[in-house]
Amino acid sequence: MKLIKSIVRPNKVDEVKDALAKLNISGMTVTEVRGHGKQKGHTAIYRGKEYNVSLLPKMEIEIVVADSIVEDAIKAIVQAARTGEIGDGRVFVFPVLESYRIRTGEKES
Amino acid sequence: MSMTQPGAGSTIRSALDAARQELRAGIAAGAGGRAALEQHAAHVDALLQQLYRDAGGAERPVAVIALGGYGRRQLCLHSDIDLLLLFGARIGPPEERFLRAFLHPLWDIGVVVGHQVRELDEFVELEADNPEFLLALLDARLVAGAAPLFDRLREMFHTPATHAYILKSLLQLIEARHARFNATLYQLEPDVKEAPGALRDLVAARTIAALTDPVLLRRGPADPGRFEDAEDFLLRVRSILHLEAGRNHNVLSHPLQERTADVLGYPGSAPRQRVERLMSDYFRHARTVSRSLEWARRTAPVPVGPNLGLSRDGIRFLDPVLAARTPASWVGAFQAAIDAGTEVTDEALSCIQQHLDRYRAEDFTPEPRDRVGLLRLLRPRAGLYARLSQMHDCGLLGRIFPEFDAIAWRVVRDFYHKYTVDEHTLLTIRNLERLMTAHEPSRERFQAVSASLASPELLVLALLLHDVGKWRDEEHAPESVRLADEALERLQLPREARETVRFLIRHHLQMSIVAFRRDTDDPQIVKEFAQLVGTEERLKLLCLLTLADIEAVSPETLTPWKEELIWRLYVDTYNHLTQRYGDELIERNQAGLMELLAGRPNDLPEADVTRFVEGLPQRYLQLFPREAIYRHVRLARDIRPDEVHLSLEPVDSIWTLAVVTLDKPFLFSNICGVLSSFGMNILRGQALTNPNGLVLDVFQFSDDERFLALNPDAHAQVLHVLQDVVSGRVDVTTLLRGRERGVLGRIAARVAPIVRIDNEASGRYTILDIVAGNAIGLLYRISRVISQHGCDVDLVLISTEGERAIDVFHITRAGAKLTEAEQQALTSDLQRTLEGTQ
Repeated sequence: MKLIKSIVRPNKVDEVKDALAKLNISGMTVTEVRGHGKQKGHTAIYRGKEYNVSLLPKMEIEIVVADSIVEDAIKAIVQAARTGEIGDGRVFVFPVLESYRIRTGEKES
Repeated sequence: MSMTQPGAGSTIRSALDAARQELRAGIAAGAGGRAALEQHAAHVDALLQQLYRDAGGAERPVAVIALGGYGRRQLCLHSDIDLLLLFGARIGPPEERFLRAFLHPLWDIGVVVGHQVRELDEFVELEADNPEFLLALLDARLVAGAAPLFDRLREMFHTPATHAYILKSLLQLIEARHARFNATLYQLEPDVKEAPGALRDLVAARTIAALTDPVLLRRGPADPGRFEDAEDFLLRVRSILHLEAGRNHNVLSHPLQERTADVLGYPGSAPRQRVERLMSDYFRHARTVSRSLEWARRTAPVPVGPNLGLSRDGIRFLDPVLAARTPASWVGAFQAAIDAGTEVTDEALSCIQQHLDRYRAEDFTPEPRDRVGLLRLLRPRAGLYARLSQMHDCGLLGRIFPEFDAIAWRVVRDFYHKYTVDEHTLLTIRNLERLMTAHEPSRERFQAVSASLASPELLVLALLLHDVGKWRDEEHAPESVRLADEALERLQLPREARETVRFLIRHHLQMSIVAFRRDTDDPQIVKEFAQLVGTEERLKLLCLLTLADIEAVSPETLTPWKEELIWRLYVDTYNHLTQRYGDELIERNQAGLMELLAGRPNDLPEADVTRFVEGLPQRYLQLFPREAIYRHVRLARDIRPDEVHLSLEPVDSIWTLAVVTLDKPFLFSNICGVLSSFGMNILRGQALTNPNGLVLDVFQFSDDERFLALNPDAHAQVLHVLQDVVSGRVDVTTLLRGRERGVLGRIAARVAPIVRIDNEASGRYTILDIVAGNAIGLLYRISRVISQHGCDVDLVLISTEGERAIDVFHITRAGAKLTEAEQQALTSDLQRTLEGTQ
């Protein structure tokens, strides 16, 4: 089992969701986040005055999937979220040791 | 020369002596109270009526009117006889003869007459500098002469505005008078007329009640009987003081206390005991008066509008029976409550609720002024949400807007909304109100946007109606527009305003869709969104509407993350609109132009419209309503070099000046200079050029010094001077000389000026962004510098946000963008000008 955490452009969330749904992955956590990577924000100008937009709004999508479909899931996310421009985001993969369903208390494999 | 008969003086003197003798006897018997003073006033009335007849008063429209204490029939032994001699016509020699014949005999016998002479017309304007006179007029009573004249005076005098002014003045006079006595009634030697708790306070309490709520004192701390006992006691004492002193003396000094106690028959073997009993009675009565006055001051409703009073618990109808008959006055109650920072009382709300069913939506805004009043109510400011909620709770809001009634308590089930549709709607208005009034550092950027709105009430109107289509389950925005149309029709809003509200309702979800679900880094997405909104004003309105709408879904919905996305889309779109719009020109056969041609009036040939509009920036069609464009086309017709065609029109308090001419150097700066020389405050402006060298400058300005409003020929004068200056016959700098040292020099120093040049944003122009403290003459100074650098002003956008002026100039030099060196020279010159060092 792996936790896949991806940081994507806000407008790409729907496309990523659709792509994951095709792999029968429907459970996910989506969070509004702000941050920057290599892109380090940029300066915008409003009314003659420059202001720094260093922390950019992004969406974080977390899913937990079986090892067997990790590769497909990563591929689906990358394809759906890519524009080819700087600021497309990142995908991180973590091992998951155990998982429990709170309603029943049962341990998932 | 007296017109009275010889011997008349002695008749009057003996009549007055007899009256005074009778009063003296009463006083000496301890009975110089209300009844005796009334009797004395009646004697004096008779005497004045005789004098009036003798002086020939019946022959002309004149009224002899008793004022103040005499008007109240409380004429003390040595009090002045206060009179108003009121003439119906202009006072000429015959009237002056009457005055002499009437007044001289009184003076001859030593009566002190405090008289005022007025013509009826003088009461058209309030004598605001004479509050004592206005107060005395409240007790006006006709003694002799023309009753119709007296009735006219009462009609002119008793208005809500006058009452409100008198009440305010009275409260100030009371404060000042009490201060003279260290604000305590427990004086060892009290002045029975002026001291706290004495006669003036008693009259003041009654006056406050009369001006606000006639039954006020009945609800007060003292029952009416005790209040009247106090009056009679104080009058009896005062009468004794007059009798003993032989003059208008009102201080109950130690020696006079003994005398008074004796006259009033207080028991006690020693004078000291009798005095103590007298004074203890005095303080008891003074306390009754004092407490009643305090009660009146605290609880009296202050008149704040027609049939409206402000009392401690809020705004109420002074006459509920009248209110029930006049539904058009109800909105005024909520307006008054917002103005006074209070609520509408439960009593008034019940009155509205009880009579609501008798009226239709139209009955609440039958006249143009009522419709203007309703729109004014919707201006976002502190208290608006709370008052609209009160209107909703009592059913009035849904009665005025039946469209809104359809979503009352409406439940729409989804994962996001936490409130019924009506409450969600009202909360959007609360959010806007908070944004505009509360100080939240994180919201400053949006607050600045809200401060620049020309008509924020349209935004509130759009918010109020944006979800009315949710009464049914299908897609709601088009249905909301359909229903809103009916409301807008009833309000008879101007077409432009109506279009703005329709646009906001139709597209109220669009900005969140683009901000959250589209790639706003893609310039094409921003461009399309900019095309949808069309103008900065609509962009600002939609931006604030979006923010208020999201925030009203639930307390958690509007996150800083979402705010940031909305702000970025706003900035990108704003920059697109202000910096790139000069690159997109109106082309032949495009849709907007075709519509314009199809709807043109008969007097405008197609070729005239096309020649004028073609090649102007795209935005021109969105910025101006069709009627204005046709006016501009007419102005441009048959224009020849050296000609300037102008139109100048007011809408409410804002004037619009349109100037069409063939391109001239310094044109823009000259127009700004002329407007400044007349003290006009330029609020918004557009300068546009078409490829044929035709220039259209449109300015909106306010006439803060009221030059145009107060001078009948000012309109023609402004146009004349503009003609002269633009065609070069007059130099604008000479016109401005008088103002140079004054207003022109004063640029609001709190705003640090920003000058920024951008050579990339537009394909054709160098863009100059200037932000500076707003001041009369600012634009003239900026544009003069630009012209001095040999630059042409091709497009200008002028706007103001409070004390901040935001100007975007699109300029070229010899038809091209500015070089690096030219940019630097211009920037540093402008910077110096704005910092006031040049």
